[in-house]
Amino acid sequence: MRTRDTDKEKLVYTKAVEQIVNEGFNTFSMNKLAKACNISVATLYIYYKDKDDLIKKIVSKIAKKFFNVVINDFNPKMPFEEGMWVQWKNRSAFALENPMEVSCFEIMKHSPYADEILKTGELSMFKQYMTEFFEHAIKNKELNPICLDVFWSIAYGPLYTLLGFHREGKSIGGRPFTLTEDIMKQTFDLMIKGLKP
Amino acid sequence: MKQTNPQILVFKTDISELCGNCEVAKKLNMHPLINEWSIDTEDKDNVLRVVTTNIVPQQIVQLVTESGHYCSEL
Repeated sequence: MRTRDTDKEKLVYTKAVEQIVNEGFNTFSMNKLAKACNISVATLYIYYKDKDDLIKKIVSKIAKKFFNVVINDFNPKMPFEEGMWVQWKNRSAFALENPMEVSCFEIMKHSPYADEILKTGELSMFKQYMTEFFEHAIKNKELNPICLDVFWSIAYGPLYTLLGFHREGKSIGGRPFTLTEDIMKQTFDLMIKGLKP
Repeated sequence: MKQTNPQILVFKTDISELCGNCEVAKKLNMHPLINEWSIDTEDKDNVLRVVTTNIVPQQIVQLVTESGHYCSEL
């Protein structure tokens, strides 16, 4: 009888994320993954039914991890600026600590597996928190009444641009770049200035 | 002693295409001791994965080979 092994499951998860990021979905296979993990392909099938099942479980795991990190120390009734700073700190911490998972998540968001993200249980709480926070800030006149899409692009667009520069190690024109808290705070202050009435 | 915990068995096969009416699919569906099964037809080993509570691998090998396919335990 074959049994499950938590360490092996973690290894499989890590290697699968790496392979999807480095090689994409099309060339990704159970056999290649088993080789990279130094386990038999049979062992891999103990954990997952097939490639599709494996990818779905990985998307779901990353999504859960992300949604849990993002709402850490966050309360939708927080003052707008304070809540936004918690969001920036949480989102940047997740991206900096889990670069491979973030890249994998980005690939999956633009693939047929995106539906799996929407099925994640943690998503509903995340959505509820974010909507409440947004509406609360407008109601309290801490935020100009704008549509959610405009809000998101201004509120998080600059952060994700900086995180992209950091991941690449360079910004526009190939200038070397490392994200520091000071740079993040400068950008944050300008973003807040743009959104506050 | 009757085994109650489900176990997973995996087999290499040559089943690269599968439909609900295939003989092998019918046999696997109807088997009283098979809780769940799937075949990864995209994989080069066309891995058959069986979740069962009380069956020996040889019985699965026999069931698949009798349906005209290759099957060996991985």
